[in-house]
Amino acid sequence: MSTRPAFRRILIANRGEIAVRVARACAEMGIESVAVYSDADAGALHTTVTTQALRIGPAAAVESYLSIDAVLAAAQAAGADAVHPGYGFLSENAEFAAACARAGITFIGPSPKAMALVGSKTTARAVAQGAGVPVIPGEAPTDQSDEALLRAAHRVGFPVLLKPSEGGGGIGMKAVTTADALPAAAAQARREAQAAFGNASLYLERLIERPRHVEFQILGDHHGQVRHLFERECSVQRRHQKVVEETPSPALSPALRARMGDAAVAVARAAHYTGAGTVEFLVDGTGEAARFYFLEVNARLQVEHPITEEVVGVDLARAQIDVAAGLALPWAQDALSQRGHAIELRIYAEDPARQYLPQAGRIALYRPPSLPGVRIDSGVSEGSDVSVHYDPLLAKLIARGESREAARRRALVALRAFPILGIRTNTGLLRRILTHPRFIAGDLDTHFLESERDALVEEVDAREAEARAVAAGLGQQAEAGPGQPGRMDPWDRVTLRG
Amino acid sequence: MGPGDAAWVANPATETSAVDSARRAPRVTPLGQGRFVVEGDRRWGEAFGVRVGGVAWVFVDGEVWTFGADAERGADAEEGSQDTLMAPMPARVLKVAIHAGQMVAAGEALVTLEAMKMELPMRAPRNGTVKAVSCQTGQMVAAGEVLVELE
Repeated sequence: MSTRPAFRRILIANRGEIAVRVARACAEMGIESVAVYSDADAGALHTTVTTQALRIGPAAAVESYLSIDAVLAAAQAAGADAVHPGYGFLSENAEFAAACARAGITFIGPSPKAMALVGSKTTARAVAQGAGVPVIPGEAPTDQSDEALLRAAHRVGFPVLLKPSEGGGGIGMKAVTTADALPAAAAQARREAQAAFGNASLYLERLIERPRHVEFQILGDHHGQVRHLFERECSVQRRHQKVVEETPSPALSPALRARMGDAAVAVARAAHYTGAGTVEFLVDGTGEAARFYFLEVNARLQVEHPITEEVVGVDLARAQIDVAAGLALPWAQDALSQRGHAIELRIYAEDPARQYLPQAGRIALYRPPSLPGVRIDSGVSEGSDVSVHYDPLLAKLIARGESREAARRRALVALRAFPILGIRTNTGLLRRILTHPRFIAGDLDTHFLESERDALVEEVDAREAEARAVAAGLGQQAEAGPGQPGRMDPWDRVTLRG
Repeated sequence: MGPGDAAWVANPATETSAVDSARRAPRVTPLGQGRFVVEGDRRWGEAFGVRVGGVAWVFVDGEVWTFGADAERGADAEEGSQDTLMAPMPARVLKVAIHAGQMVAAGEALVTLEAMKMELPMRAPRNGTVKAVSCQTGQMVAAGEVLVELE
């Protein structure tokens, strides 16, 4: 878009893979970057890829990455003229965006007003309805008592989904099928919402039986232009956290795609949204007969943004920086198109065989493969320490191909060539998802992971003899790796961990 | 160390005669830096392996294995884990649903922890009677800390 630097120095208020990715965008644009780190992240990968790095506090997120004071102080100390918030942490915190503005530092994202408007599910729904976009039947009861929630649930119609009014990531969401299950579910949802977002108020909506999660990427600039960069299907998820995403969505016909794209743009316009954002929809059915419903807006760059980049050919982090610097988006809507297919696999430090328990320890061996059409966005490297203080996302593997099947096969080859040792990950699960008949057929909905659980978590012992031989070979060598044994979690017992 | 020696070391685990195993067990050639070439069943491929403390971590054809003192205790280890419930990570105790002397069923949530912004129910590994409860509501626990013991 532009060859002259938009800003001189950008502070990246985040960590892990997204901080590494934004640092790369800055480097490509000739902009200096500043990393911030907590005590748990001293020496982490993201601190080594920026122009400078500043300590902002102890390990606990509330005292470091979530501390507006600490992050702003770092930005001022470093002389940054802009802040990129990444995703999570302070990225959708209107107070932080406002504090940056007061300090004369550009916040790379929407205005505090737009952020607050779309950040609350209740006001976002009102914006969507006002823009003529269909929404799922739901209510935000002002009276938050169990009795009032129950009356609202009857009006909306069971089954219902209880959700925290503020915040996302699937935290605090509870499905309720019958009236007598509601009080206990509401109590748990309120506790989780209070702990995660500092706000216990709940929202109810009708639960759709086999929904597909389809979201649209939008970009708005300060010249009144809004564009959509097509969709991402994110139905492979658990506890409402995404595991595999792809674009284009196998469920959308060109006509449905056009209608949903227009709806996403309409919502963004109505909110006067600037920067990168995502409009989420639930899709009921496929093709021409499908119905779509507005779900919410994510006022930030999303984890799964790389698949859009691969298929549409736009660097979204760079676009965010350009928009924040006042540049106009250079493409008309009909100049944007999707080419080929891309699939992203999220590699988490967790054990799917034990309720996806997050893992901690040192990554003794980590060798991302270099293959055509394969992009790996890592937040860690060999020797990295993974702690329990933050999200367990280690890396994203993005495979691109001319067709969905080509992308799927490429993702499989890449996974088989990507060893990560010393800490348990979900790579075995990812492999079994990619080879599951329903995934191959594109027959997905948000319950896929749960309903196919037995087939997906089951372990296959194909190469045991070879693995034993390598283990025996290791016994003859001096201890490999960084010399410090990884911290083993207390559930460690079984042999096959694939 | 050559491939033949590696096959020999694999023998004790399979408990067959040395001659049979040398014919059947795959040959392994270390290439350094955790990389290996594995030749077995007339196929060969790249594998990776590294020792972490007493455990060997191995990556072969997309699957991860662990072998070693902790991993191969097998049945004994399973029994050990059946008697105690430990915190899997640093967490806060949200709810203690049981008391000493109480009978519990396998899968029943005994203690609920809070960590990483989620509620984690800690479930009984088997039917049994609670011997001791070593935690209380509001307490911060460390990874590996014993929460509940069963008879």
